[in-house]
Amino acid sequence: MKNPVSILSVGVSSPGGATYGALLDTSCWPVRRVEEVIPGYGVRDVSTIDLSVEPVNRWRLRPRLRRASPLSHHLIEAVSQTLEARPEVDPARVGIVGAFFLGCVAYSVKFYKGLTDEGRRFASPVLFPETVANTPLSHVVAELGIGGPVYSQVGDTSCWTSAIRTAGVWLANGDVDHVIVAGAEEFDVHELDGFHSVRWFNKTFPFLLAEGAGAILLGRENKNSIARITSVADGFSFRTRTQGRQAAMDCMALFDPRVAVAETATSWITPYAAAATAGRTTVPLHTGPKVEAFNASCAWNTISAARLIQNESFQSIIVPAWGLSQQIGALALA
Amino acid sequence: MNSRGDVVITGWGCVSPLGGDVASTWNALLSGKGARGAITTIPLEGCRVSQGAEATLPALDWISKKDASRLSRASRLALPAAREAMADAGLIDPAGRSIFSRLEMSLSTTACGMEFGEAFLRGLWSSNPRQQTARMSRYPAQQQISDLQQHLGFSGPAMIVSNACASGANAIGHAGDLIRGGFADIVLTGGFEALCELVFCGFDALQAMDPEECRPFDIHRRGLMLGEGAAFLVMESASHAAKRGATVKGRLAGYGHTTDKFHITQPDPTGTPLATAIRTALDRAGIAASGIGYINAHGTGTPFNDGTEAAAFASVFDHGIHGLSISSTKAAIGHTLGAAGALEAVFCLKALESGCPPPQINTVSPVTELPARLTKLGERLSEKAVLSVNLGFGGSNAAVIFTPA
Repeated sequence: MKNPVSILSVGVSSPGGATYGALLDTSCWPVRRVEEVIPGYGVRDVSTIDLSVEPVNRWRLRPRLRRASPLSHHLIEAVSQTLEARPEVDPARVGIVGAFFLGCVAYSVKFYKGLTDEGRRFASPVLFPETVANTPLSHVVAELGIGGPVYSQVGDTSCWTSAIRTAGVWLANGDVDHVIVAGAEEFDVHELDGFHSVRWFNKTFPFLLAEGAGAILLGRENKNSIARITSVADGFSFRTRTQGRQAAMDCMALFDPRVAVAETATSWITPYAAAATAGRTTVPLHTGPKVEAFNASCAWNTISAARLIQNESFQSIIVPAWGLSQQIGALALA
Repeated sequence: MNSRGDVVITGWGCVSPLGGDVASTWNALLSGKGARGAITTIPLEGCRVSQGAEATLPALDWISKKDASRLSRASRLALPAAREAMADAGLIDPAGRSIFSRLEMSLSTTACGMEFGEAFLRGLWSSNPRQQTARMSRYPAQQQISDLQQHLGFSGPAMIVSNACASGANAIGHAGDLIRGGFADIVLTGGFEALCELVFCGFDALQAMDPEECRPFDIHRRGLMLGEGAAFLVMESASHAAKRGATVKGRLAGYGHTTDKFHITQPDPTGTPLATAIRTALDRAGIAASGIGYINAHGTGTPFNDGTEAAAFASVFDHGIHGLSISSTKAAIGHTLGAAGALEAVFCLKALESGCPPPQINTVSPVTELPARLTKLGERLSEKAVLSVNLGFGGSNAAVIFTPA
């Protein structure tokens, strides 16, 4: 990040609720036991958003969102909160960057299941457009009148730091006055088998698989900001878990060892994250079980850390994004 | 854009249905060839359309057979294209590795390693757990980042923009933004897309594909032809290129992008959002509309896209503007979705270098709304700037302008 940017407002859509307070204690989140698709392979704890209750279902009445994916609904709730908190910001001069891991996985699976079971001639022309990675963000900008540049970025959890960097580029180049960065994910049962197959479910380091979205409104001004993002460390890539350990060390080595680090690691990378942050003050961002919702989690972690800085619990906090499959990144907030 | 830092192109590479590198693709394109044929790589029984533009995968002789067998089709397309671009820019050492240990990437795709995702789902539904680990780990888009980094020998920040069919132009524009903003000195940028069942069936379900030839801007056009491929550019600041003695092959002069909120799959028929993207690119390039000699149109051949595009061009460019010609290379190589913007950028740069824009094929009766004629075989470029535009589902619009070295 060449120039620090300010977090001016935040938005949350989580299984625990659509407020920052819902992020503080994940033990209050609804949990259900879901069986993997292959019978007998495993049953996992999952926390999902009930789209039939307020406030999330307020978007169901919008014609464009009537058939939209759950991801679109999580996303628009979080993004709308950032704008509602800053009515002086003109959405027409706001850009938006979305960070996604699996994207519209539920509709993609449903579409493919349909053509597999019933034949290709019966593939659904209604579902297909909703499987496209940038569709959720398109719904959001159309409904909220966002008029600046729009990027949908995909990648593992570290996509969040990459999206923040994109926002920083737009702000530094003067392309827009403000940028919303949003991370969002949706749950589909097939994910369970996927994460099982790549050994992300780890008995020693368990996590609650979740869905939802988080968003932050970024700007150059410092007045009334919640916190500032002072640097972005991006691009510490790895292929094997051994390389992942080194990437974690290299990433953390960029930051002042006196700065506290948020506890954000889940799954297999947890011990490597602990090694990379050894000797530093670590900051738990919530009580309750560890939650993994990939880019949504990154957004929630950033929001929680920003609130800790706003209430002066900490001067600065590093918020790592421990990608589980390709890359590690981190933000420094102050 | 020029006022804040000159962004130059020092290397290019591609794999397309017309050839496994830039030279063979360009020669075929200039001679008016098309790549339409039967699709053999994916099962299409039951589809309305079964033809498209399939690429022949180049040999990966610098990668072990074992490693190559693990790659997704997307990576099989991306790797040779990226390597060609890096070699062209002088970034590959004698051992076949990048001379820079860290090299930023700005990439685009829409379907990533989708064949592995499809195989994973079929495995689940048949309760067959064999090979699921490999399928799951090779499917996501970040896997192609890993493949490029591992087999070309570098690491560093990498972003993948997935703005549907405008992604490739967005990735190039973003690389330019990184350089002009001083965030990077050199960026490997490009896009890749492999044909897959899910996407092919999706377009088939939408009846968006022409069962015969793809005829962009023809009054009888009936739809697109899907294709596959990859293209990469090495982009760097002029000062960085000069410092290392690189040969400048062209310049990214301007970039504009907008979002059309009209409909999720249909563009605004007035073309206003696309026209805004073009005007932004012109403004940033400091070039008047009359300074554009060639437009590589998105030109999918669908009734909606081409109508909108013609309206946008007509609002930006004076009717009958001297020297301007327009073509859509999708009639020849198909619509390569996330790779389209990158491939078409290479064609624009080659047009600048050779002075010959690629001709429009298949179109017999052009729509009258276009402000300029369609490019003819053997035509010469009249002006010193070329424009490439892309539109995508979700309303993504992007325009990039290139000027000569």
